[in-house]
Amino acid sequence: MERSFAQEIEKLSLGEGELFHGEGILGVTKALLQSGVSYIGGYQGAPISHLIDVLGDARELLEDLGIYFENSASEAGAAAMLGASVNYPIRGAVTWKSTVGTNVASDALSNLSSTGVIGGALIILGEDYGEGSSIIQERTHSFAMKSQMWLLDPRPNLASIAAAVEKGFELSEASNTPVMMQLRIRACHVHGTFVASDNRAPVYSMNNRLPKAVFDPMSINLPPATYAQEKHKIDQRWPAAVKYLQENPLNELFDGDCDDVGIIVVGGMYNGLIGAMQQLGLADSFGASRIPLLALNVVYPLVPDELSRFCAGKRAVLMVEEGQPNHLEEALNAILRRADLQTEVHGKGAFPVAGEYTGEVILKGVAAFIEAVTPRGLQSTAVVERAADLGSTKSRAVASLGAPVPVRPPGFCVGCPERPVFAALKMTQRRFGAIHISADIGCHTFGALAPFQVGNTVLGYGLGLASSSGIGHLMDRRVISIMGDGGFWHGGLTSGVVNAVYNQHDSILVIMKNGYTSATGTQIIPSSPSQPASKEQTLDIETTLKGVGVKWIKTVPSYEVGKMLLALSDSMTTTTPGLKVVIADGECQLERQRRVRPLIAQSLARKERVVTTRFGIDSDVCTGDHSCIRISGCPSLTIKPNPSALRTDPVASVNQGCVGCGLCGENAHAATLCPSFYKAEIIRNPGWFDRLKHQVRSTVIGWMAGAARVAS
Amino acid sequence: MSKETKSFSILIAALGGEGGGVLSDWIVSAASAMAFPVQSTSVPGVAQRTGATNYYIELFPLSRDELGGAAPVFALTPSPGRVDLVAATELMEAGRTLQNGFTHPERTTLVASTHREYAVAEIVVPGDGRYNGQKVIESAHSLTRKAHLFDMRQIAMQHGTVINSVLFGAMLGTGVLPLSRQACEDAIRQSGKSVKASLNGFNAGFDAVANGAPQAAVATGGVAAAASDKDRPAASSFDSIIESYPEPLRAILRAGVAQLIDYQDADYASLYLDRMHAVHQAGNTHATEAVSEQDRIDVTRETARYLALWMSYEDVIRVADLKSRAQRLQRVRDEVGAGPSDPLRVTEYLKPGLDELCSILPRSLANWLQARLKHRAHQLSVGIHLRSDTILGFAVLCVLRSLRPLRPRTWRFHREQETINRWLACVRHSLGIDGALARELSLSGNVVKGYGETNERGHRNLATILALAGQSGQDVAELTRQVRTERLRALAEGETPTPTVTTQGPVIKPISFVPRSSISTRSD
Repeated sequence: MERSFAQEIEKLSLGEGELFHGEGILGVTKALLQSGVSYIGGYQGAPISHLIDVLGDARELLEDLGIYFENSASEAGAAAMLGASVNYPIRGAVTWKSTVGTNVASDALSNLSSTGVIGGALIILGEDYGEGSSIIQERTHSFAMKSQMWLLDPRPNLASIAAAVEKGFELSEASNTPVMMQLRIRACHVHGTFVASDNRAPVYSMNNRLPKAVFDPMSINLPPATYAQEKHKIDQRWPAAVKYLQENPLNELFDGDCDDVGIIVVGGMYNGLIGAMQQLGLADSFGASRIPLLALNVVYPLVPDELSRFCAGKRAVLMVEEGQPNHLEEALNAILRRADLQTEVHGKGAFPVAGEYTGEVILKGVAAFIEAVTPRGLQSTAVVERAADLGSTKSRAVASLGAPVPVRPPGFCVGCPERPVFAALKMTQRRFGAIHISADIGCHTFGALAPFQVGNTVLGYGLGLASSSGIGHLMDRRVISIMGDGGFWHGGLTSGVVNAVYNQHDSILVIMKNGYTSATGTQIIPSSPSQPASKEQTLDIETTLKGVGVKWIKTVPSYEVGKMLLALSDSMTTTTPGLKVVIADGECQLERQRRVRPLIAQSLARKERVVTTRFGIDSDVCTGDHSCIRISGCPSLTIKPNPSALRTDPVASVNQGCVGCGLCGENAHAATLCPSFYKAEIIRNPGWFDRLKHQVRSTVIGWMAGAARVAS
Repeated sequence: MSKETKSFSILIAALGGEGGGVLSDWIVSAASAMAFPVQSTSVPGVAQRTGATNYYIELFPLSRDELGGAAPVFALTPSPGRVDLVAATELMEAGRTLQNGFTHPERTTLVASTHREYAVAEIVVPGDGRYNGQKVIESAHSLTRKAHLFDMRQIAMQHGTVINSVLFGAMLGTGVLPLSRQACEDAIRQSGKSVKASLNGFNAGFDAVANGAPQAAVATGGVAAAASDKDRPAASSFDSIIESYPEPLRAILRAGVAQLIDYQDADYASLYLDRMHAVHQAGNTHATEAVSEQDRIDVTRETARYLALWMSYEDVIRVADLKSRAQRLQRVRDEVGAGPSDPLRVTEYLKPGLDELCSILPRSLANWLQARLKHRAHQLSVGIHLRSDTILGFAVLCVLRSLRPLRPRTWRFHREQETINRWLACVRHSLGIDGALARELSLSGNVVKGYGETNERGHRNLATILALAGQSGQDVAELTRQVRTERLRALAEGETPTPTVTTQGPVIKPISFVPRSSISTRSD
């Protein structure tokens, strides 16, 4: 795992009245413990990985409270765990990265929300919308609506988030409905404070087990129960939820003096909105606003009375709702129509339909609203001018810079074991011509970026091979699929491998076996090389492949580009029918360095012999063609000004970050690069024999090197 | 509580793995120690260590006691005109904050390191794809209230620390960050890792800004640094010849002569000067309206550059020579950080093939080999790991470099000289026609370079260009355009994937249904 959470675990034990300092997602974790949950599960993914990581390290704390925790094998597994709350009065919470995780979980979620729950069921969703997100841009809101699960979107401060967790369980129990809570990426990573309360041991727990199983035919999705469940949703659960929200208002009203207009904002956007209003002189540092605000911490279901009360007497309101479709704006229009209120609704239009609501976007949107409705008692033109000035910084900068600065997307780390595989894939493409490559989700998706540009489609996590089933039969040459070991266990084994074997696909699968789900923060998976003592069984990918009938399997060390190239070429040309699997075996370099670095430091401190490896380039031999970079892209293999007075192009250069993974040398041979690369192995704390050899060699070599210099 | 007080907002722009998160934690910790309400947030992208990332902090510079329970509302994202202090660990990341409009000329102070970590987009380009950093530096001064720009990586390296501590010190040094020095230093101490080095970096960063300690030069743009070891003066016998050229040409000629003496011998350098003389003369004798004085200087200079490089083409002898010099042995030690007494194993990655072999064979033998083996040349390359730190390995290099006197009798030498002469003739001829065309042709000397297949391709591309230039009766402007297009194409051309293996299509099993009954099945 990426880091140790010993400090954080201490925070999870804070008691009544103590001040919790920390990250948003840890605040959620603490709030879960305060809510008396009996079980917690989840599947890792930014930005909620830390919840799982922390609990994974908090064994003692969980044992004391009797809480069961598992790192689920997929989101589907996590969602299905909530089945515990269907028949029994026990609270449970699960978490994953939305919306991709919700998609995987959807089978279980639909069934769960149809059946309903007795114990509170909370789903914590880490939203990754906008700003460098590496997932498809969709809304969770639509999913909540179609399954009629409630959706919380609390204001992004720790106190509000923690309160939402506790209230979420109450709402769930009051309405027998699972509740989702969405947190945007910055809210998960926000560092703030809230006043803690004591952790609460659940009534039923691993320390106090349920006495007997409950059978209720109405919780099974067979007719007639399914029809009854749907009716129950509409007739009982929905009204119950609205009633709970009327009696326990979770949405917050903030008054303002310009009350002929108003702004309705989803809780998660509240700070962004206030930030923009502060800049426009419409709110002070403490959030006191000139325009009345309604913050919706519960975005589904809406409470119609609450909204019509807010809008009554107002000429216009602005709905601040990120993403599309604009469900809230449309729902508000319908509510106002039914209440026969003539308040204008502004939303998309003032705001763009698609895309993240950054500070800049909100600023423009609010200014557009002010300009359109000119609230009573407000210097609207001053606001609009201020917005125009602030908005012009960007265009001024763009004009001043002339050309846009180079983009810098995330990429493979220094020494990443996946980089050499993509180098080999690129060389395979050179050898065979363009090959269709069905890519997958994981760090290896970066193979689609420069310099490799390898990967034609991405259809979902673990779906690399499955997504080649159609095209594989319609191409004039074999297609290659990519799958990480994380994706393999997440579902790729069945949807991909089993499907390909069963349907006798003649194609190639490359499995990136780096030992972890690295992209989410290197969590362990069933085939991780080392695991905590409690999980001694490590599953093996190769055995599993053989078990489901794969005949052609080659395991190649990731860094050996030549061998990888050979294996890939074999797989392209062999006459063996069926699925051919190449396992690229190389541990995640981040994890490896985390393990190896302290060991090396210890050895050096003990004056033990240590050999460290670095690569280098002879800059007078390098011609500045950079073809080595085009099959590597390693952050450590970069360029520097040419030391030659004649040459103008920068030369390739290996910087201090090199971890000596060996790719440069492998590529130099596999792709027949120029002879400027060298590998240097430094022997620290050498023994007497090392020193002797060094003495003799450097004396003789020094003599030979010196003798050869022709006077110039 | 003062009505005037506002939140102070800080944007840290960094690359993954540069310690931006730690810096953000230091600031939160220092602000908390002063009882200021503070909020930080980030989009760390968990594990991808190389992309651009940012950390955003807002703090309220009044203690909780003074605030009496009032809680400021902080924004979670930076917004144009809202940021008081931008700190960037690298020049282009500073540029990115400018580009996003986060700096306001009335509000924002910028602290940034001027060193470059090149983006992949810049380094994959054959030739020079670097962004002109000078633009960012100029814009930084005009788009912020105050910009403090200097090379923090240098300072970090001097103090054996990471850039984040230097940046932290520099941020405080600006005087706008409302935190006490004591609180900042305590924050570093509390973090408990490499405290001493971090504090040294912090102090150096602080001094560089606050006390105006000499800021490192901001040389970052496209121009290569001046040479060092290649600046050896040419042998004196050549001095008088070089002196006869106009001033702007002398430096490059001197460098060319030095390069060729180093490469072969004084005779070879004489040949170089003779060739340059012919080019220079052609410019003077064929004086025409269409070729300006400046054109002549430029053409001669670029011809001098690429002629020297081409004449010192890289062959096995040259590579062995460069890899077996005393300076090189020392440079390797310096670059990889090996101490003088640390034993060092050095492995050279060599993959000689048919071309490399022929480059040191006499013409007849090389021609015979080429004729027999050319068709399977790509299979003949042998990957060699040569241990140049061993006596035997180094001796191999010494033997190879000792072939130097034989070089003029090799197949490769003849081939290169032939093409060089054709190119030079073309350049000379064009000097009587048109300045722009002559420029293009002189620059075309850069097309032939590198090793093996790259070199082969260069020869092919140059042949195309020379054939173009040889066409008579063409419109000169059109001809120049064509030559230019062809030259740029040749330079930009990376690896042309010419598939060498063809395969059969995948075996497709006929679709079969499991017979359920005699009734045909529909899949519903």
